[in-house]
Amino acid sequence: MQSAVKSPGSQISAGLNLLQKCWQRFLGFLFPRETDTWLAVLRIGLGLQTAVYALFLRSDWHYLFASSGKGLVGREVGEAIASFDSPLIPKLGWLVALGGSVNMSEETVLSVAWACLLSAGCFLLLGLFCRPAAIVAWFLHLCAAESGGLLAYGADSFMTTALFYLMLSPLPDRYSFDHWVVKTKPKNPQLLGFWRRVLQVHLCFVYFIGGLAKCLGDGWWNGSNLWRSLIRPPFNLVSPDILIRFKYALPALGISICLLEVSYLVFIWMKKTRRVWLVCILAMHAAIGLLMGLYLFALVMIVLNLAAFGTNGRIGRHGFLPQHKRTGAFVEINGRADA
Amino acid sequence: MSSKRIHAAWFGLHFFLLTAVCLAGIFWLIAQGATILPSACNEYARKAELGATWCLGKEAGPSNPLRRGIATYLHAAGIQAGYSFFAPNVPTKHRLTLELFYDDGRVEYESPHVRSKAAALRLDSLLDRLPEQRYEPVREVLVKMLAFSVWRDHPNVKKLRATFGSVNPPSITEFEQGKMETFQPMFSFDFSLRDEQTQ
Repeated sequence: MQSAVKSPGSQISAGLNLLQKCWQRFLGFLFPRETDTWLAVLRIGLGLQTAVYALFLRSDWHYLFASSGKGLVGREVGEAIASFDSPLIPKLGWLVALGGSVNMSEETVLSVAWACLLSAGCFLLLGLFCRPAAIVAWFLHLCAAESGGLLAYGADSFMTTALFYLMLSPLPDRYSFDHWVVKTKPKNPQLLGFWRRVLQVHLCFVYFIGGLAKCLGDGWWNGSNLWRSLIRPPFNLVSPDILIRFKYALPALGISICLLEVSYLVFIWMKKTRRVWLVCILAMHAAIGLLMGLYLFALVMIVLNLAAFGTNGRIGRHGFLPQHKRTGAFVEINGRADA
Repeated sequence: MSSKRIHAAWFGLHFFLLTAVCLAGIFWLIAQGATILPSACNEYARKAELGATWCLGKEAGPSNPLRRGIATYLHAAGIQAGYSFFAPNVPTKHRLTLELFYDDGRVEYESPHVRSKAAALRLDSLLDRLPEQRYEPVREVLVKMLAFSVWRDHPNVKKLRATFGSVNPPSITEFEQGKMETFQPMFSFDFSLRDEQTQ
């Protein structure tokens, strides 16, 4: 009997081939061909988000970000904490110092920064000067979030991330005013696919880590955390007397939230379950917005989910596989000759 | 092709950092004993957290360029913190009550306030951060500034006492029995216009 012993050279060659195939599959996953519909959703959604953020903080903008002795706690403390991490992190203090060099008062600089942020939001909403507007919105929001770091909460991190991705994405999209006026060339579909993939993978991280952390707390299994979060000021928009009527539903709802979040990274990719998971996640964020008053947080999460998984702009049918493998794989899985 | 490689490399690096940030957050929660996992896991979690933070350059000196570079990138991308909101359990709410003492013996009670609901949410976020150990060095300064923000509206006040504490909500059963939230003082500071004394 002859044994099939391979030479070391052929083993290395087989190994390299395998690596090459894996790399190609990885590139196929990273660079699916996409239209720019998702980017339009992200741009319009973040334009709205930025404008609403600026308008919500209109009356308190100076009070929150003024220096010590003029505002609530003074932005110096937040800026010092950010500077401890790295002095290169942008902050409003930079703009105030820059304004000071041309004799602009702190109050004027803060007003200009607020007006620029609102304008950037409106420009994004309309699709006018998309890229500069995205950069300005990201920079000013980051400055505000870092200077008021002690006053920031989850919505700020998501907004920074979303604007960061938007700024790097291949703007403008074909629904923007820029495209209508300048008639820009169509963007590379694979680049559009890449940035959408980044957003999709990021959301999977968000929900998996959030769900996992919730699963590790006993309060999400018996409903007490839902009760605590809904009666906790300032989130207590619903009267406890009404909540009491649904006390038997709270454990089931708490467990559902844990499972929904932790399984997001699996079921959102499957065509059959994607719509169900997306609708459930959107409903959860809408409920957080309406029942707890976290409107900005709810809006940014809804926008991110809709942009990542809510639009169907795929060019070709199977983004996970390299182009030359796609048809064959589909035939094999589904057993249909017409694929 | 080289553009694809650059994008793929960035993707790998970006999500490697995000993984390290998220894992550091999860391991920190476990190490603090804040989860349902047995306490035997705490020590392992502490070591794992150190590993994750090492990947983020946090074990290097504060002025290390790599550490600063990573920190700048994380903040710029909004991924400097993990995503364990309201997890593993809903954090306790905190309140700052200010007692305003006037010359004529009058005493009034106030709290720091803002105009809009959106800003009120941020003020609550600040108050909930104050008990955290990492903010201990700036705690007194922050309370003083919050007290001063109220003082500006009441210039005749001679002395001010700031009491900070946690607000413990009733459970469902306790609420059905008619119990309401309770206030548990944690620390207080006395401030006067010229000198200050800490309790």
